[in-house]
Amino acid sequence: MEEMLEPNEMIVHLGPQHPMQPGPFRLNLRLKGETVMDAEVELGYIHKGIEKILENKTYLQGITIVDRICYLVALTNEECFVGCAEKLLGIEPPERAQYIRVILEELSRLQSHLLGLGEFGEFIGFVSMFMYTIKEREEVVGLIDMVTGARVTHSYLKFGGVREDLPVGFKEKALPILNNLKKVIEDYEGMFYSDRIYRERTIGVGVLTADVAKSFGVSGPALRATGVPFDIRKNEPYLVYKDLDFKVCTETAGDCFARVQVRLNEMRESIYILEQCLDQIPNGPLFPEGTPYGRRTPVMRVPAGEVFHRVEDPRGEMGMYMISDGTDKPYRVKVRGPYFPTLQALPPLIKGTTVADVAAISGSMDGCTSEADR
Amino acid sequence: MDARTIIESLTGKFPEAISEAGIESPIRIRAYVDKEKAKEVCQYLKDSLQFDHLCSVCGVDYPPRNELEAVYHIASYDHPVVLMLKARLPRNTPEIESIVPVYWNANWYERETYELFGIMFKNHPNLKPLVLPEDMLGEWPLRKDYEGFPNKTARNLV
Amino acid sequence: MGEVKEKKTNYSKETPEEIPGVITTTTSAIHKFLKKTKAQDLINWGRKNSLWFMTQPMGCCGVEMIATGCAHYDTDRFGIIPRNSPRHADVMIISGYVTKKYLPALKRLWEQMPAPKWVLCMGDCSISGGPFYESYSTVQNIDELFPIDVFIPGCPPRPEALIQGFVELQEKIKAKKDLGTEY
Repeated sequence: MEEMLEPNEMIVHLGPQHPMQPGPFRLNLRLKGETVMDAEVELGYIHKGIEKILENKTYLQGITIVDRICYLVALTNEECFVGCAEKLLGIEPPERAQYIRVILEELSRLQSHLLGLGEFGEFIGFVSMFMYTIKEREEVVGLIDMVTGARVTHSYLKFGGVREDLPVGFKEKALPILNNLKKVIEDYEGMFYSDRIYRERTIGVGVLTADVAKSFGVSGPALRATGVPFDIRKNEPYLVYKDLDFKVCTETAGDCFARVQVRLNEMRESIYILEQCLDQIPNGPLFPEGTPYGRRTPVMRVPAGEVFHRVEDPRGEMGMYMISDGTDKPYRVKVRGPYFPTLQALPPLIKGTTVADVAAISGSMDGCTSEADR
Repeated sequence: MDARTIIESLTGKFPEAISEAGIESPIRIRAYVDKEKAKEVCQYLKDSLQFDHLCSVCGVDYPPRNELEAVYHIASYDHPVVLMLKARLPRNTPEIESIVPVYWNANWYERETYELFGIMFKNHPNLKPLVLPEDMLGEWPLRKDYEGFPNKTARNLV
Repeated sequence: MGEVKEKKTNYSKETPEEIPGVITTTTSAIHKFLKKTKAQDLINWGRKNSLWFMTQPMGCCGVEMIATGCAHYDTDRFGIIPRNSPRHADVMIISGYVTKKYLPALKRLWEQMPAPKWVLCMGDCSISGGPFYESYSTVQNIDELFPIDVFIPGCPPRPEALIQGFVELQEKIKAKKDLGTEY
């Protein structure tokens, strides 16, 4: 990049440690004055080699490792990994376990979006937003903590079910928090609509059109903000999502404002899903009856085969490709994280914008570098 | 568009390049592709069969067969079918045509596969390591015979 | 640990040039003198109540670190304030696995921080490698590279544990047993 420098141009490195970033990566910007002429992303600062480690762990140990692919949505990663193994084993969790999984995954979607909103606010200089959202996020994390016993990495899902039942009084505790959250989302929306500086920094900034987003392989809120109703929960329903009533939130503008708006609407839908689940959840066992799978998973030998399983992560399409050779360890696991293509789309998106907008665009993508690096 | 029509269209168009095509479930299909024809097949998939979303590109190592496989997962934004397209490559000279001209986001996936498995993607615009430091290039850590794991890497093993 | 101490003595010149008629001294000489007096207690009291830490999320623990610094746990009441720039910070929290690629950058961040400065190891990854101890990409034995004062175990530790880690660090500074201060 340095050979191409023209007069009046310079290179600015954002990162590896920068307040704009969700985790360490490096953004090299070639600037002419304030304008970004060219950009390049360097990854790998927290590359852990998870795919190699998974090959050397048993399936049960693997659950704790996939937790740490993306630390904001550990439960969705687990769902993807466990879903792969369940498809190979040919088992399906009973209905109550499926409902509990949906409840927890929607809660973790809520907390991820709350943190994402707060970070975005901080990046564009709206630091109090971060404090507001973290305050609400703690309530949601507390709910997850109440069920799983951990705040970030849960290891809660088991093959064929879930580890623990919902605790007594969960519904009574959850409903007031969700009702409060509904009000709070209204407040956030009011703040966003009324703040002139906020609107000027987001409307028309970092515009993705539907065709460009599709060619970049983007998914999740960034794609839905361009008007494409692509959601794995609808397109390829897993768990009990096909019985639940919810809509796929889309916007048409494709700019930073639309991406944040999609997240706000998705949080409303998540709360709606949670209310339905808490009403409808049936009584019953947590593991399929007549199988050896239970809270204490037996030594598992997964039948040989290959499977590609997709779930909807708060950031988009999460997929895992698992090859089993009939032993107790997977032969190969490929993790297809949603933020990897989104981060790849960042350099073309910020080309031609100003440096101040880089933080806004990058923040509105709601990233998780750990998952891009793996 | 359902799985059967896709398979029929694909094998009809490329009778020699596509082999072992099969349907795993109504939304999952698989096929082996001749490594010389991978790019053309991808172009056809994108233009005629609505496969406009590349999920991932990855490599798999099979030392007993002395083969590496490049695996493409190609999906669509319109229909739920995911195609798993595989290409067999010889283990000592793994080379395949890059599909970046067809799917833009294959760029990073191919760079990652290159540094972890050593699969060369011909005519790739910028084939250099993505996540590993430069000095680890050539170790191909995700191959099954990588020696550094875990003997060399874990110093605190008891 | 030995390596780090040797490095420090290299930075501060022990024997300054002799100029006739002028009494020269060095910072370390002043520190050595102060350490014997009551003034150091006062200085340490000030230092321990203003431990600003650098937000630098490196892994799962990074999320808990951010949550600790924000509204709910509100570490501001102990003088523990998150800062984005290493130049404003007193404490570096190693909040995750250190990879071979990131280690040079981390060392550089550490050098950019003004002394006195302290390091906390947060989480199993930075203490012993944690779940990634056998990864081909991570660096082992971080305690040989940085003078670490407090280790906070957990995967990840809860925010309360991080606050307790800070309290331990404050105790160490009060007792003049910390490694970070260049006495």
